[in-house]
Amino acid sequence: MTGFMDLYTEGNTFLHRTDPRVKILAVLFLSALALIIGSLEYLLALLAFILLLLALGRATLAKTFFALKLVLRVMVLIVILWPFFNPSGSPVLFEYGIIKITEPGIVSGITVAVRIACLASVWYILMFTTTQRDLLRALVKLGLRFDFGLTLAIALRFLPTFGAIVNSIKDAQRARGMEFDRGSLVKRSKNYVAVLVPTIVSALRTAETLSLALQSRAYGARKDRTYLRDLNMRPADYATLAFFSLLLILPVFAKYVLQVSI
Amino acid sequence: MIPRPSSRRPDENFFIVAHDIKYVYEGGIEALKGVNLRIKSGDFIAIVGGNGSGKTTLAKNLIGLLRPTSGSVDVAGNRAEKMTVAELAHFVGYAFQNPDHQLFSGTVEEEVRFGPRNLGMPDAEVSKKADHAIALMGLQNLKSEQPLSLTLGLRRKVSIASVIAMDPQVIILDEPTTGLDAEEIADLMTSIRALNEEGHTLILITHDMRLVAQHAKRVIIMANGRILLDSDPPGAFSDLGLLRSSKLEPPPVTQLAHSLAEFGIPKDIATAEALVESIISARSGRP
Amino acid sequence: MRPLELRDVKFTYANSSRRALDGVSLDIEKGEFVTLLGANGSGKSTICMLSNGLIPHAVKGRLEGSAKVFGFEVSEHTVSEFATRVGIVFQEPESQLFCMSVEEEVAFGPENLAVPREEIRERVGWALELVGMKGYDDRSPFSLSGGEKQRVAIAAALSMRPEMLVLDEPAYALDPVGRIGLYRVLRELKERHGMTVLLAERDAEEASVFSDRVVLTKEGRVIDSGAPKEMLRDPDRLRSIGVLPPQLSEVASLLGKRLGRSDLNFTGMDEARRTIIELFSTRRTGGAR
Repeated sequence: MTGFMDLYTEGNTFLHRTDPRVKILAVLFLSALALIIGSLEYLLALLAFILLLLALGRATLAKTFFALKLVLRVMVLIVILWPFFNPSGSPVLFEYGIIKITEPGIVSGITVAVRIACLASVWYILMFTTTQRDLLRALVKLGLRFDFGLTLAIALRFLPTFGAIVNSIKDAQRARGMEFDRGSLVKRSKNYVAVLVPTIVSALRTAETLSLALQSRAYGARKDRTYLRDLNMRPADYATLAFFSLLLILPVFAKYVLQVSI
Repeated sequence: MIPRPSSRRPDENFFIVAHDIKYVYEGGIEALKGVNLRIKSGDFIAIVGGNGSGKTTLAKNLIGLLRPTSGSVDVAGNRAEKMTVAELAHFVGYAFQNPDHQLFSGTVEEEVRFGPRNLGMPDAEVSKKADHAIALMGLQNLKSEQPLSLTLGLRRKVSIASVIAMDPQVIILDEPTTGLDAEEIADLMTSIRALNEEGHTLILITHDMRLVAQHAKRVIIMANGRILLDSDPPGAFSDLGLLRSSKLEPPPVTQLAHSLAEFGIPKDIATAEALVESIISARSGRP
Repeated sequence: MRPLELRDVKFTYANSSRRALDGVSLDIEKGEFVTLLGANGSGKSTICMLSNGLIPHAVKGRLEGSAKVFGFEVSEHTVSEFATRVGIVFQEPESQLFCMSVEEEVAFGPENLAVPREEIRERVGWALELVGMKGYDDRSPFSLSGGEKQRVAIAAALSMRPEMLVLDEPAYALDPVGRIGLYRVLRELKERHGMTVLLAERDAEEASVFSDRVVLTKEGRVIDSGAPKEMLRDPDRLRSIGVLPPQLSEVASLLGKRLGRSDLNFTGMDEARRTIIELFSTRRTGGAR
């Protein structure tokens, strides 16, 4: 059973082997690019590039669809609804009363959807090619305080555990006649107290033991803590970083300095 | 308000009947591979097995928390699939292993009244049943205490009392003695025996064979999703190999009895008293 | 220096009015396997948490008397300082494993102590092998059974190379197979590696077989201390302090009462069998005593 946020898929592709710090930065650069680019054509080009990266990481269609289900639904909604709320420009394709659909309206709707697709897929690439462990290690190396990194790691590790505890609590209360799917909203909220209190109590008890265990293992004993698994930049990683930096810098330069319309 | 389904008992003797139930968890794990079981009112059953034997899965199928993948369960003559968990709670109560997964009220009294109230019993009946349950578990002096501030043994008693208060015919207890010391165990088992004497059917899920030897009238040994043995206690203890392969530890007295078989000591011994008796009689019976 | 030396220790938890330890004096010698037997609330957990300084530093309360661990007064040194001498394992397997893989978990302690990477790798392998979990490095805690989790917890303590291992009811959540497996690992640690083991339990069954010494506790006091054979021979006494007597002690005691003999005492299966067979033969030859 994997963690709730664990989209990681085993693999030995170029993307899997890239230093996670470089991946995080690359993803940030590509996200920035997705926000800066204005025209649909270039956005589609960016999306194609991102899909290429997905293929490079050997992402399967099935898994990708599953992970991005929600995003796809949002995209469809936007493509359909956006034109109704952006009736400016010409040519006008349809008009009836206050409803006015224009071509620019449709195009801008699609543009927004594609932008969302770029952002979602680029972060998905990060998640499915990087283990939680490496991700947190990278964040700490990039400057996140170790305490915060550890807190995040522990929270992620316990998510499934608490998921199971909540289910167990719900079962226990069901066996006492409680029904979670019937009754008014008010009644149902009251019912949740019977789940919330035991959950919080469990969490507090766990936290107490956890804190004792951490201290018993000398947590915080030294500032110069060592790490069994460490991250080392290879020449390929530097090259990748350079590539993505250029990928961001060139369009930015073109758009803002050379005033090219992108 | 969850009305009590009417009880139709075509087969007067058996309160719960499980017909060849199979249960497969999401992900393909076959936890129950065809279990047949008939439980009479007034039985005191111990369902034993190691972790992963399917004993908890079976118990959850009897109260509707899990529904069989195939096969069926009859409770009080009705098909369990036709009843919600809440309706089944009128007939089968389930006290979970971890009382902290159940307790949330401000006082013991409120906690115990929670169940019967959910079932829609009128106030007078709720009070009567709650008071009876509290008395049975010896919690009278703790009625206004906060359940979460009590020791583990007492918290367990409160959670069991809150199940008894719904007055189901069958009461399932999941590993009720975990974490309790000798005194607390003796205390708890006295209350549980009293419940059985009152006419309730008790089902104890445990892996503590010493407990089983002392209290159960019927032992069901499970391993790998199947029932390997369903007999009275002596029968359950006479086969060491079966116990061990079910990941159960035969009580030391049973192991000792088996190693003394050549001297006429019977193999189905499970308590110290029984062993001593048979040693004395075997000894005096010798020429 | 003794692993543990308690002299008239009194302790009251912060939110409590009752004394958890009411004048406890106890010595644990190097290499001993000691089991603390007592009911819930008898003080055995409190003694465990004193052994590495959790009391009084992480768990608040009022501490009186002298509590020395390897010669160092607990109130004068931090928990981290004791971490290289004393490892501790708690009863809930789930709450003390907080990493995503076994390797990380076992490496956590030495990482905190800034042990060089190569040495950490060595220690992780060594610790896992000691608890019989070699090769489990990449396993996630979710894929482990209760017994396996507890063994990882032991390995996570061992990787800091302690001289004493303290376990507070480690077999609490385990089934019989897990229990025995755990005790075997502990016994091996003591016999092959000279580890001092201090264990707190409510059930005397395993104590009789695996311990060098048994300490009986009740209501914050040490009632008695000695060899398992002596401490566990009287089932009534054990029950009066809330401890489940070993079944063989019950047999010996009952048998002795029936035969009018007060010398019957056995703790292991073999000894029990021999003694009883002897009883059969004395009857046959006609001689009673």
